[in-house]
Amino acid sequence: MGMRGNCLGLVCCLAACTMTFAPHAPAADRSLSVTIYNDDLALIQDRRDIEVTGGKQRIEFQDVSAQIRPETVSLAAADLSIVEQNFDFDLLTPAKLMEKAVGQDITIVRVNPATGAETREQARVLATNGGVVLKIGQRIEVLRDDGLPVRVIFDKVPDNLRARPTLSVTVDSRRSGTRPATLSYLTPGLGWRADYVALYDEANNKIDVQGWVTLTNTSGTTYADAQTLLVAGSPTQVDGAPAQMGFRAQRARPALQSAGTESGNREQLGDYYLYPLAERTTIANLQTKQVSFLDVRGVPAEHGYEFRNAWLGTADQAQSAKSVYSFSTSAHAGLGDQLPAGIVRFYLRDKRGAPQFIGESRIDHTPMGSTLSLATGDAFDVKVRSTVEKRTRLATFDWQTDMRYELSNALPRPVVVTVLQGGLWGDARISAESQKSVRRSADVAEWQVSVPANGKASLTATFVTRY
Amino acid sequence: MRHACGSVHCIIAMLAWVQSATAALSDVPGTPVDVLAGAPTDVSVTVYRAPRSGGSIDLDELQGFALVSETRTVHIPAGESRLRFDGVADGIEPASAIVTGLPPIIEKNRDAELLSPAALVAAAVGKPVVLLRTNKKTGVVEQLRGTIKSDAGGGVLYETADGIEALRCSGLPETFSFSSVMGLAATPSLSVLVRTPREVTATVTLSYLSGGFDWAADYVAMLAPDSSTMDLGAWVTLANGNGVGFPAAHTQVVAGRLNRETGVYEPVEHGMTILASCWPRGSTSDTPMPAYLVRADDAARMSMPMMKAMLAPAPAAEVVVTAQRVQQEQLGDLKLYRVPERTTVASRQSKQVRLLDQSAVPVTFVYRADLFDAADGVSLAANLLLRTKNDAAHHLGLPLPSGHAAIFASDGDARVLVGESDVRDLALDEDVEWDLGSRADVQVTAVKERTNIDTAHAKVLPLVPGVSLRSVGVSDGERIEITNGRSSDIQFELRLQLPDGAGVVRADHALVTKNGRPLFSLTIPANGAVTVRYQVEHTANRLIRH
Repeated sequence: MGMRGNCLGLVCCLAACTMTFAPHAPAADRSLSVTIYNDDLALIQDRRDIEVTGGKQRIEFQDVSAQIRPETVSLAAADLSIVEQNFDFDLLTPAKLMEKAVGQDITIVRVNPATGAETREQARVLATNGGVVLKIGQRIEVLRDDGLPVRVIFDKVPDNLRARPTLSVTVDSRRSGTRPATLSYLTPGLGWRADYVALYDEANNKIDVQGWVTLTNTSGTTYADAQTLLVAGSPTQVDGAPAQMGFRAQRARPALQSAGTESGNREQLGDYYLYPLAERTTIANLQTKQVSFLDVRGVPAEHGYEFRNAWLGTADQAQSAKSVYSFSTSAHAGLGDQLPAGIVRFYLRDKRGAPQFIGESRIDHTPMGSTLSLATGDAFDVKVRSTVEKRTRLATFDWQTDMRYELSNALPRPVVVTVLQGGLWGDARISAESQKSVRRSADVAEWQVSVPANGKASLTATFVTRY
Repeated sequence: MRHACGSVHCIIAMLAWVQSATAALSDVPGTPVDVLAGAPTDVSVTVYRAPRSGGSIDLDELQGFALVSETRTVHIPAGESRLRFDGVADGIEPASAIVTGLPPIIEKNRDAELLSPAALVAAAVGKPVVLLRTNKKTGVVEQLRGTIKSDAGGGVLYETADGIEALRCSGLPETFSFSSVMGLAATPSLSVLVRTPREVTATVTLSYLSGGFDWAADYVAMLAPDSSTMDLGAWVTLANGNGVGFPAAHTQVVAGRLNRETGVYEPVEHGMTILASCWPRGSTSDTPMPAYLVRADDAARMSMPMMKAMLAPAPAAEVVVTAQRVQQEQLGDLKLYRVPERTTVASRQSKQVRLLDQSAVPVTFVYRADLFDAADGVSLAANLLLRTKNDAAHHLGLPLPSGHAAIFASDGDARVLVGESDVRDLALDEDVEWDLGSRADVQVTAVKERTNIDTAHAKVLPLVPGVSLRSVGVSDGERIEITNGRSSDIQFELRLQLPDGAGVVRADHALVTKNGRPLFSLTIPANGAVTVRYQVEHTANRLIRH
């Protein structure tokens, strides 16, 4: 009996442990697959062996995402048809338990504060509105109205009250026996983006770029040993937050200079690129996980300066030009990959050779073959002061604005600054300028201004506008 | 193993046991060994400022950040290991972490599920615990085996042999005793998963960005008795609001504005308290309370340092001043200042290191008032400006990082504060202008003396039937009186801000244009006054109906 007793003890323990997690679906036979989209959305495919008897029965799935979108659930298994799916979100709390006990009997244990002696009584719960009203024998009492200790003991938990929101599926099985079943659903609380580390080599104008996918789990649930696939793209979500409202938020400075047209060897699904993780991984709740997907060294890059004056106005002080780094994502002399949306952090080596952070910039999903131009911050030493020298009314609706841009460079080397004047609304015409401009768009004129080392340069332009 | 297995369950259990035993032997993926990285042997901290144009740091809200790089030695056994880094700053931005010097990294993780009373109860739901109930009279502690049934909604329900009860709703002292911490840690932990065919000892560098730091330059200027020069000194004031200190660190600060992207939130565990909410506990002596609405709090959007700042005691009580002078070098388009010797950047400490000392910097003082449009009946005090130029001729000529300046003068033996100003980043050869605030001694009064409307040359432009636009020339005559209550002559600048298309057509004092704006530059005699008259013309448009 000794051995057998031990064995049974082990069985009880193992059975109890696994049963607590998933009463009808032992964890050992579980295979999770998680597909994560960019916009706080994931598809969970949870394959497990379920043990069913013939006929109608209820299967509970407790260890699903705490934020499951129950309307997206589907269960697939052989010889099984689904009668109904329920998502119980009435949670088991002391107040709910008391509320469900209205009209039923509970046990109360009074503790005598002087002696510590316990007195047990049966009581019927009459109401829980604001306070608990009990009927004990023929007396009506308010629970703990006198502040003295009273224990309340309930016999059982009502069927549909649970510690966690629980999915239950009522199925009709044509035969009994264990079989694999796949439960799939969408859940928010899982998302990913890319994080890039870019180390710029000033002497050689080259850049080393490492890319990491960063996934975060705030869904309230841990996904153990999951096969994970990341999808670069934003599927339209109808309920919940709309992924994209048909337009892209206008940023002050577009990072994408030219969109690429090259194809890579990344796996694709429709218009989305797929980034599968090479190994199964456990995505713990409240975890940030990073996995490398890109490591490219010695890509040619350029460093420049850009100053944008948003409208024909005077600035009180000289404004710093933006420090801009540009590089290609092309297979030829570039990163040679599609870049999923994320943040690029730039580093530069200091005099001792230690990499120091110099700023970051966000990028959208970027096709291969594109040219990216990313601003890392303001240049300390390169500044532009824009001034309206004169504004004259030519006619009732016609104005002439004489602009002067004073550029200063405190660096010991010459620089070229791209000066952009916005706010031209298409109709503004440049009647005179100290050097030739390029009309980048109807709204923006562009000049390339050279500023000598530790020197100054100035640019003037006369705009004729009508409004 | 001579089991006499009688049940199906027993066989399944045995199979499971055999499986797990073989798994442990063959070292398959998924069973990494936990390895703790050694303490940092070398640390470098580079502090970046909060994005502001000037001003001192706010010790209660350190909005800047730092790049922390540390070197640690690790011993990694053959196979798969989870290498954990302890003692990283609590403001860490996990996505910025870079680990070099290791065999290929499978993944980096940062776990934010923290050990807190609520997390402990949440992790113990469905698991056996021991309930301790103390008899207040006798002091006897009753120990009951039970299971936590639920912690939903802040209340805790447990089941013992007696039945189901709610924690601390009876008025008796009760608590749980847990057998383990359920794998939860006190601080967010950073770890990397690596695989190596043989044991290695590696020197690993971990770099990451962390919030909860800031720095600013604090300038102190001492004016010479004749106010024609000043001695300018400055400190780099840096502060660490993190719970982690960095002993003997290479310390740098970086000046200039960096682009930071916002809107990236990392999972944060707040460590909520257990409310032990019960059923309604109103009593017969309660008076009804009116219903009210509560706005949902957005604590989840708060960053870790913000939370810490709210929860932690007042930071940075200690201020450490060192006598070292920082050394400046160029870092791309930024300025890097290096503290020459290693220093300790302690937790919740602000530290000052000497930035510069420049003596006999020539300065000029000028009073200035700004007048907008056609000012009438305006009376205001002029602002005092301190001016110099950031070049060698003015005994400067070095990048001046943004911060705060205090200007002192000596009055006999005593020191008096003349004024304070925010300082923006100033490159070489830039003009320095510090606004020391308004001075009641110098008053400016503006009166519009007359307005003439030139109806004779009015133009009418028909727009749509019944509506026309009428343009008329308007001419305003302004009189400005500037009084000086001081016993010395002062330099004064009157700056005008005119509407588009307007211009000064005549004036009784010389008018110049500086930075696109009309300006009168005047000397106001001691205890005297100067009156300026000028005329502004512009075109006014009005829609008229007929």
